[in-house]
Amino acid sequence: MAASAVRGAVALRTSVGRPVAFVRKIPWTAASSELREHFAQFGHVRKCIVPFDKDTGFHRGMGWIQFSSEEELQNALQQENHVIDGVKCLILFFS
Amino acid sequence: MAALLRPARWLLRAGAVPGLPLPLRLLAGGPGRPRVALCLPAACPGPAAGGLLSQARLYAIAAEKKNYLQEEPTSSHRRNASQFDWALMRLDNSVRRTGRIPKTLLQKVFDNTCHSGSPGGNQALLLLRSCGSLLPELKLSERTEFAHRIWDKLQKLGTVYDVSHYNALLKVYLQNEYKFSPTDFLAKMEEANIQPNRVTYQRLIAAYCNVGDIEGASKILGFMKTKDLPVTEAVFSALVTGHARAGDMENAENILTVMKEAGIEPGPDTYLALLNAYAEKGDIDHVKQTLEKVEKSDLYLMDRDLFQIIFSFSKAGYPQYVSEILEKITYERRYIPDAMNLILLLVTEKLEDTALQILLACPISREDGLNDFGSFFLRHCVTMDTPVEKLKHYCKKLKDAQMHTSALQFTLQCALLANKPDLAKALMNALKEEGFPVRTHYFWPLLVGYQKEKNVQGVIEILKGMHEMGVNPDQETYVNYVFPCFDSVKSVRAVLQENGCLPESNVFSQAELKSEAVNGNLDYILSFLESNTLPFSFTSLRGSLILGFRRSMNINLWSKITELLYKDGRYCQEPLGPTEAVGYFLYNLIDSMSDSEVQAKEEHLRQYFHQLKEMNVKIPENIYRGIRNLLDNYHVPELIKDVNILVEREKIDSRKTMQLTISDLESTLEKLKAENQPVGDVLKQLILMLCSEENMQKALELKAKYESDMAVGGYAALINLCCRHDNAEDALNLKQEFDRLDSSAVLDTNKYVGLVKVLGKHGKLQDAINILKEMKEKDVLIKDATVLSFFHILNGAALRGETETVQQLHEAIVTLGLAKPSTTISSPLVTLYLEKDDLPTALEVAIDCHKKYKILPRIHDVLCKLIEKGETDLIQKAMDFVSQEQGEMTMLYDLFFAFLQTGNYKEAKKIIETPGIRARPTRLQWFCDRCISSNQVETLEKLVELTQKLFECDRDQLYYNLLKIYKINGDWQRADAVWNKMQEENIIPRGKTLRLLAEILRNSNQEVPFDVPELWDEDEKHSLDSSPLPEESNLQKDLLNACQWKKNKDAYNIFLKAQNRNVVFNGETYNSLIKLLLTKDNFTQAMQVKDFAETHIKGFTLNDAASSLLIITQVRRDYLKEALTTLKTALDLEQIPSRIAVTRLIQACALKGDLESIQAIQKMVNGLEDSIGLSNMVFINNIALAQIKNNNIDVAIENIENMLTSGNQTMEPQYFGLAYLFRKVIEEQLEPAVEKISIMAERLANQFAVYKPVTDLFLQLVDSGKVDDARALLQRCGAIAEQTPIFLVFCIRSSRRRGKVLCFTC
Repeated sequence: MAASAVRGAVALRTSVGRPVAFVRKIPWTAASSELREHFAQFGHVRKCIVPFDKDTGFHRGMGWIQFSSEEELQNALQQENHVIDGVKCLILFFS
Repeated sequence: MAALLRPARWLLRAGAVPGLPLPLRLLAGGPGRPRVALCLPAACPGPAAGGLLSQARLYAIAAEKKNYLQEEPTSSHRRNASQFDWALMRLDNSVRRTGRIPKTLLQKVFDNTCHSGSPGGNQALLLLRSCGSLLPELKLSERTEFAHRIWDKLQKLGTVYDVSHYNALLKVYLQNEYKFSPTDFLAKMEEANIQPNRVTYQRLIAAYCNVGDIEGASKILGFMKTKDLPVTEAVFSALVTGHARAGDMENAENILTVMKEAGIEPGPDTYLALLNAYAEKGDIDHVKQTLEKVEKSDLYLMDRDLFQIIFSFSKAGYPQYVSEILEKITYERRYIPDAMNLILLLVTEKLEDTALQILLACPISREDGLNDFGSFFLRHCVTMDTPVEKLKHYCKKLKDAQMHTSALQFTLQCALLANKPDLAKALMNALKEEGFPVRTHYFWPLLVGYQKEKNVQGVIEILKGMHEMGVNPDQETYVNYVFPCFDSVKSVRAVLQENGCLPESNVFSQAELKSEAVNGNLDYILSFLESNTLPFSFTSLRGSLILGFRRSMNINLWSKITELLYKDGRYCQEPLGPTEAVGYFLYNLIDSMSDSEVQAKEEHLRQYFHQLKEMNVKIPENIYRGIRNLLDNYHVPELIKDVNILVEREKIDSRKTMQLTISDLESTLEKLKAENQPVGDVLKQLILMLCSEENMQKALELKAKYESDMAVGGYAALINLCCRHDNAEDALNLKQEFDRLDSSAVLDTNKYVGLVKVLGKHGKLQDAINILKEMKEKDVLIKDATVLSFFHILNGAALRGETETVQQLHEAIVTLGLAKPSTTISSPLVTLYLEKDDLPTALEVAIDCHKKYKILPRIHDVLCKLIEKGETDLIQKAMDFVSQEQGEMTMLYDLFFAFLQTGNYKEAKKIIETPGIRARPTRLQWFCDRCISSNQVETLEKLVELTQKLFECDRDQLYYNLLKIYKINGDWQRADAVWNKMQEENIIPRGKTLRLLAEILRNSNQEVPFDVPELWDEDEKHSLDSSPLPEESNLQKDLLNACQWKKNKDAYNIFLKAQNRNVVFNGETYNSLIKLLLTKDNFTQAMQVKDFAETHIKGFTLNDAASSLLIITQVRRDYLKEALTTLKTALDLEQIPSRIAVTRLIQACALKGDLESIQAIQKMVNGLEDSIGLSNMVFINNIALAQIKNNNIDVAIENIENMLTSGNQTMEPQYFGLAYLFRKVIEEQLEPAVEKISIMAERLANQFAVYKPVTDLFLQLVDSGKVDDARALLQRCGAIAEQTPIFLVFCIRSSRRRGKVLCFTC
């Protein structure tokens, strides 16, 4: 799992300075498409990565969202509660 | 807690004695104060389960203390001790939180204990005691098995058992209702030569009674009497159970009378035994009567006891009476873990319905609607294989009761985790029925389960199940979870087809493609793309292709595939068109690679681009620019020109950015103005240039002259310039003009801050506040650095004593929400009065801040000053306030630190000896850090001395801090004294402390009198984590940000600022800064940063990338010696410098004729050539060049000839490229060398049939315009014309430089 998380991070590694949000506590029922759907309300989601652990078939509750612009990221960060599938997720700025 | 405050009050009350200086008055109250017995709530045992462990803890600590006294503190013992602490902490936490220990946790702790070598007696006791009722999720028999496993294993590992272990085992037997023979047990103890004690006998009696064996119990009881052991309530309670289980309720009740006669009043335990006895018989009436009797007496049954009665009823088959007992439960919060424990136990006993009944009765707050209290119940039901129909019913109940938001989903997760496919399927169907989505990834854990056993049939079943549920497997499902189960991807298709679950869509083909791509099978991909008939969009292929490309280095296939995608209509239908699609593809390809990967594959990529060029593939210019930036970031700018050849030339922007001087711009401006043409761009450029030269006067004049042509950007720069020059008047005017120009325009944060600063400084408060308001309205981004800037503005004003400015600006900043009120941002409010020595107001303001914002800025400084001035009343006031608002402990610490700071050590001692005070590690560390940063050696020494007896004080950490300050002062004698003091205090130093001590001693050339422990990662991390100051981390963050955005000036300024404040960052930060400065060619600054880092961070070194950049820069500046040293240092640190760096250094040495250095480098990188990517030819070319430069032409030529003609060739002749050497020799016009080389090349061709050198020479001659020489060479050596492969590469390479035409006359 650590490896897949690292891979996720690496995939967005070049995103230093790009508008990327780091999301934690994603419920197990949601995968990247659910995350993408939720965050689409704040702007255009360019990349959405929720790495799965191929050894268990579950993800570890974290993911990365890359927006098209800093402004969209700020929109997302400004909303206090992000509830996906009825669960409150934590969203952090990722840099 | 009130006890805490008393002594402190005493101290201060005594202060009322008039005429004495404060320190003496404080002393007056000291000696006579009463010592109050101490019982802090946290130290009292919690629920029974916790109590059990708390006992274990007390025992453990006592045992450990004993060990410390007896043995030398060896390292293995320390490991055991920390192992024990860890185990205890884990188990204790679990019991406190949940009332139980999960089996996996106990197993983990057990395994860890075993691995630790020889587990101590305390560890064994801890583990054994955990095997009883703390494991409600395990069946009774399993628990005892577990206990036996632990017992045997630890015994084998050499643990020595004493009577406490045997008693613990007995307790576990009782809790687990384990049937055993007490006589055998006693025999076993005797065999081990362990004397049973009273507790042993009591528990054996209970064991007999549990099975209704009164006779057995009586035998032991008689034995106890002969030994004159006291008979306690526990024995009588056991007898109640004993008689009841023997079916004799009458005698059971009689025991109570017997007890009273024997002078023992029956307590809750006895009544509980009786109540359980009735419950087991289903006698609700007697239970009720007894309960009433207990209520009337002074006795009190706790919820936990009532839970036991419930369990007795349920287990005996009388669930109907549960609700009557439930009514009596008070549901105190602290019994929730016990309730959970009971619920789990009931589920384990297959009494799930009763469990649910109790769960639903639990008073859980349901307000936030995000409560998942029922999870533990559902999870355990799944583990215990509760039927699915029941589970669905429970889920519904929990949901209706708002005890779980997503009960079904959670249960499904449990089923998946427990790998129960049938249950999972049933639950998914239930989800579907309820209208919830069933998503593809729900099936993945199941597939993983089958995949691990390579169970193809299972996988097929799941795929079929998915189909039935209307869920289509996606590409990921196939690639990650289905394919790995099969030997080859091909066989999957066949098997799926056979079973009729091959989907019709192209998802499966895409999955195949991706899977082959992952394996780098580009042949497959090409043939698939060629033969494929399904419509595919480029985008859907992109990810797979990139993976495949990166895993295969077959450039020809890369190109062929790209060409196909570019030219074949099947793949480029989207609106983008082939140019953009392929452009994006190239961008993504490079983007997906890491910098080292791109560097390593530079040559491959170059070939690829050239082949694309040959195939007439083009990309748009804007995408090219993106790729260019990527390559720049990856430090392979050499590749940029190779991508550039692909740019679609038609639409190239002809505008050139030229470097113009100010005077050029001025004249252009005048000219344009005269011609009445728009001047906006030039004007802005000129203003920016004047601003960067800090020429405010001229910039303002220019603005005045061209007022009507001014644009927003120009104003912004001017405003900032004026702020920098402290010109409030003009800054404000400009801002107003700026607003008039475009009221919606927003400045960047720093410019706003600059305005606020300059306006505040010049007393234009209203204007400053207006700016702040605008920042809020326009939603300007507030960064940490911004908040810090606000602080500095306020603090500056406070130090200048500008009350109005500080107060109004602070008010505005905080009420507007630009910065959250914090001790930092609010401290200037207090500073104002501290600076004026107005202590009453300073305290007032601090208190006011607490009322408004719940923060107490600079209270330490206020207290210190108050103590210095002897303001007893105000101290009293401050203390009252702090203790009321933040607790007495906080107040005591505040006072303690203030006394220490002001040198009133005796008073400090009194405070820290207050009974009940305990160590607060973060506060102690705060004060230590303060002492260290202001180098207050004596204060810190006193702190360490005075906290010797402080409860739970981490002595080692304090001594570590003391050593830190000694290190700064280079005081090895005192450091050595610390070593002795620690032994005296029996402290076992941590590794980091010993290492620090050793370092101090070594630095002063002293002998180190102990073994220095190896560096452990953990310790290192810990020391790094030791809470950096907020300012430090803020500055560091700013610096890293600036580095990211490549703002080298900002970054460097932050560095200077930090340097002034003595803030030291971590090594990585300096490395980033140095890298940035070097890429921007700020060599001197970079060296300054490096020097600073090296002198302030021990063992600071440049990282690979920074070292490489440094080498390149040094070479560029012709500092070859230094570059060589940098390379050596990097290699000594086992770094891998970049190829460019090494190559450039070698080339520079060669041009200087510095043969020695080249050979030295060759030796240094020996063995690393592959990792650096360095071809041996670099050395051969450059050594020869150096020799030629030294006029040793013959030696050079002889060497090369030998290499090419001797039997043991190091290099295949076709790769023996000497083009670099030839080019340099020609360029440098070393005619004699050219001549001799020419002879050599011809000789090699004519006599040894080695044509590569002569061809290279020919091409270099052509390339440098010596066409006649080239023609002559060609005539002498016709074979050159046949070396087509060499020509091809050359043509490709030179065609990218300029449109060169080669003419061959052959």
